[in-house]
Amino acid sequence: MELRIDGFTKRFGTSTVIDDLSLSVASGEMVALLGPSGCGKSTTLFAICGIHRMDAGRLHFGTNDVTDLPAQKRPVGVVFQNYALYPHMTAAQNIGFPLRVQRLSKTKIEAKVRAIAELVQIGMLLDRKPAQLSGGQQQRVALARALVRQPEILLLDEPLANLDAKLRLEMRSEIRRIQRETGITAILVTHDQVEAMSMCDRIVLMDKGQIVQQGTPAQMYDRPVNRFVAGFLGNPPISFLPAVAHADSLDLPGGAVLAKPGELSVLGAVTLGIRPENFGPQHGNGIEGLIMAVEPQGREDMFDVKLSGGAQLRAILPAHSGFALGQSVNWGVDASRIMAFDDKGIRL
Amino acid sequence: MTARRSTLILTLILTLCSLPLGIMYAFQLIDSITRPAPGSIWPEAFDLQNWRFLWETIDSARPSVWRVTLNTFIFAATTATIVTALSLTAGYALSRLNFPARRFFLAGLIVLHAFPTITLIVAIFIILQFLGLYDSLAGVILVKAALELPFGIWIMKGFYDNVPWELEMAGVQDGASRFRVWAEIVLPQIAPGLSALLILSFLSGWSEFVLPLVLAPGGGAPVLATYMNAVIADQANQDFGMFKAIGMFYATPVVLIYLVFQRRLMTIHGGGVKG
Amino acid sequence: MRRISLLAFGFLSPAIIVAAVFFMLPVLLTVAFSFTNMSTSTGIMGGDYILTQTQVRRLGEQGKITPATEAALTGDGYTISDTALIIFARDYGAARAESLAASHLDQTVTTRRDMERILRDLPRDPIRSATERKAAAEVFKTSVLDRRLPDAEAMRQNLAPLDLAPAEVDVLTDQAYTGWHWTTDNFSTLAALPATLRYAMNTAVYVTLTLTFNVGFGLFLAISTFYLPGRLANTFRAIWFLPRILPPVLYVLMWRWFTADQGFVSALLAPFGYTPRNWMLDSATSAWLSIVLINGFVGASLGMILFSSALKAIPPAMLHASEVDGANRWQQVFWIILPQLRWPILFVTCYQTLSLLTSFEYILLATDGGPGRQTEVWSLAAYHTALSNYGGNLEYGLGAAYALVLVLIGLFLSVIYLRLFNFGDLVSKPRIEQ
Repeated sequence: MELRIDGFTKRFGTSTVIDDLSLSVASGEMVALLGPSGCGKSTTLFAICGIHRMDAGRLHFGTNDVTDLPAQKRPVGVVFQNYALYPHMTAAQNIGFPLRVQRLSKTKIEAKVRAIAELVQIGMLLDRKPAQLSGGQQQRVALARALVRQPEILLLDEPLANLDAKLRLEMRSEIRRIQRETGITAILVTHDQVEAMSMCDRIVLMDKGQIVQQGTPAQMYDRPVNRFVAGFLGNPPISFLPAVAHADSLDLPGGAVLAKPGELSVLGAVTLGIRPENFGPQHGNGIEGLIMAVEPQGREDMFDVKLSGGAQLRAILPAHSGFALGQSVNWGVDASRIMAFDDKGIRL
Repeated sequence: MTARRSTLILTLILTLCSLPLGIMYAFQLIDSITRPAPGSIWPEAFDLQNWRFLWETIDSARPSVWRVTLNTFIFAATTATIVTALSLTAGYALSRLNFPARRFFLAGLIVLHAFPTITLIVAIFIILQFLGLYDSLAGVILVKAALELPFGIWIMKGFYDNVPWELEMAGVQDGASRFRVWAEIVLPQIAPGLSALLILSFLSGWSEFVLPLVLAPGGGAPVLATYMNAVIADQANQDFGMFKAIGMFYATPVVLIYLVFQRRLMTIHGGGVKG
Repeated sequence: MRRISLLAFGFLSPAIIVAAVFFMLPVLLTVAFSFTNMSTSTGIMGGDYILTQTQVRRLGEQGKITPATEAALTGDGYTISDTALIIFARDYGAARAESLAASHLDQTVTTRRDMERILRDLPRDPIRSATERKAAAEVFKTSVLDRRLPDAEAMRQNLAPLDLAPAEVDVLTDQAYTGWHWTTDNFSTLAALPATLRYAMNTAVYVTLTLTFNVGFGLFLAISTFYLPGRLANTFRAIWFLPRILPPVLYVLMWRWFTADQGFVSALLAPFGYTPRNWMLDSATSAWLSIVLINGFVGASLGMILFSSALKAIPPAMLHASEVDGANRWQQVFWIILPQLRWPILFVTCYQTLSLLTSFEYILLATDGGPGRQTEVWSLAAYHTALSNYGGNLEYGLGAAYALVLVLIGLFLSVIYLRLFNFGDLVSKPRIEQ
């Protein structure tokens, strides 16, 4: 089911946390609400499920205006960050609770719980209490409980934050699989860009209570609207350095000169953004610097290179590239991938 | 080396300070089951005569100790039940529900919690006379429960505050009403708090002395505290052996509960007054 | 939103009712009672109307009634009137009444003896029992004095035959009322009594000494057990916590034995030439010492618990760091531990000031204010005045005035106490906004 928020405003006391936010999510789409902590993404999630009231704006599920509907009546399933499983109930009782509230018969509840447990693959764990389950298993139970009512919309609040790295990878694809199988409209709230990019059809990046940019992961990565988006997406992160733009060149402080990308028409002082993969020996030469730090990451090594003008650039190269700490290098930049930002941080 | 020596010195000082209490505890036990030698504090012989109050009435006018014990139990148990039941609901409302004037009620709770209720005893004494509950067990129960209530609500609110919000949110999201969420999801989480408050207010009722003394002096509601006090006051020769035996009898439930729940009682005693 | 409010008030209402009846109402009533002369003799429900000879004489001396009126009121007599005879006939038989009427109708005698003589000497069926005669004589009494009447109207009726001036009737009716009335006398009494100052001083001494002991010794217990190995520390904590939950009657009994003439202290000091005596009531000093220790041993455990849990919150790394820095234990206590305890110390001080000011349970059980009135503190004085004294006349009004002082201090300090809390945190909005 399609979801639409119009002009959502939320205040806590005197501070406005979200100001006039609008967002729509297509039916069956999985969207990530991404942003640093305190950006208002969880507040938005709580408004959608009905736990927070909206101070202004309307919320539509399909054609229904649900703004004034209490949480209990909204067709929304939620998976909370710490799963919020009822500690005194078994997994089966946890999953069956929403059905018990609906006064379904015992046999019906049992059948539905079985079916959903098969979907999330915890059929053999139904008799256990949450304390006897691992993090990943608890997550699956929480997912089953959220889905068992067959809601139109699934909300996931940092669902992977409490899992270790390996489980996180596994659950990432599991959640995506279940979302695809059920065809449910889903919103994932996260501060982890990798999670957002790998799991979702579309990313909505938020900052200070407003949507900064939305689009597919590739769009967001390649064409960020401003410095904030460019800096937030990408790991290791993008490097910024000051430069002066001339008619067909970009002068760096240390004297190095870069070719100006054709689409860039600005003149004067700008800030350049160069992603680590676009700097290195494979892109020719012309930029001299000193390797200040090497961070081996297994498959790749990350280099911090201090340019002669004082600015720093980051590069990522396949392991065993032969470069070492303290070495002077002369590397190049992929000029077509350079981004430039004005003094307000807007991309030019 | 020095650390061990300072531990030793510290232990010594503490033992010395604790000596009066230790002596009192020890002789409380010894004197209750022995006959003292005249002019000495050391006992002469093992003797259970001090416990005669259990099988005979010690003064003609005094009620049987068993009836008084039953009274005390009824008093403490009823008080504990009332306090716990009311705290269970009020604590939840104050901790979790969004309602007008919540600030006012919370401020009121803190003031009541700190307010020394014993200063109201004169007025309460007269209110009970108006209500016709003076010198009755029901009256004393009512007053005791009322005076314990702010403490109970405060404790319960603390327990509710520690239940994760997400549990409740999940319950609401699963379609349950707030009442149902409270009854089926939140209550099971605070079961330890519930039992702690029950125990604590039972102990408080069991030990209560001033309220029965002032509000039921005519024998309408004799409890062990007033019974024991009256025995001590009326006996011309100080028969400490018997007094201590009565005290022993009186304190046994308290000490048993203490031994079982010591750790939890200490925490909650701290928590009861902590912000 | 509205349904949640309903649920909230439903959940709160029993507690609200209890708070209204047993907190708000008593506070207001304490104020009200302190402005009355309520006592055992006035009762609390309102009273009857009765004029006594003493009252009449006093009014005469004060010049509120004329000597003539005074004479008319006190000059009592017995008249064998028709109306009285009807009552007499009903209660003592028509035959007797007839006999009495025949010989003595409209006759007046001045004393009860004369009246009783008449009844004894009745020609037919005289009244033999003395008590019966006494009661029968009352029937013919014409004096307005010593008659217990239910309301003011009856008292006016009673005075009517004397034909007094209306102003005098008002004064007399007013004076005849035995119930309580509004007055500010309690406060002038409080201000005038030398004992008041004494009680206030006693209270100040008691609170200061006990509080100092509580906090100081609580600190000592918390810090010393903090440095002891776990098992040992728990044993000491258990020993010191027990007085807090033992019934006060038993706890004080242990102290009474400890200090009794056949008790421990006396036995201990006997070899040094001290005659055995009751050390608790021996002198003012020893009484105060006992009281401070009795309260202090209970109070110190509260400090111990609160301070101990605050100490547990100190990161061990911080202590280790200070040891690495070469700090000895004393320096550690002064520079790391005590600063950490600032807040709990403030809290315990504030909380115990309130409870020490107003509680009298342990003093009542231990010395009952003795010897003499040496250890009578304010709250105990309120209790003795209003609820328990040897005279038997319980002065509720005066007691309420005593209590009112404490209620006001209590309210004031509780509000201060409220400021001590981080109230903003406490009232943070519920996260489910329904």
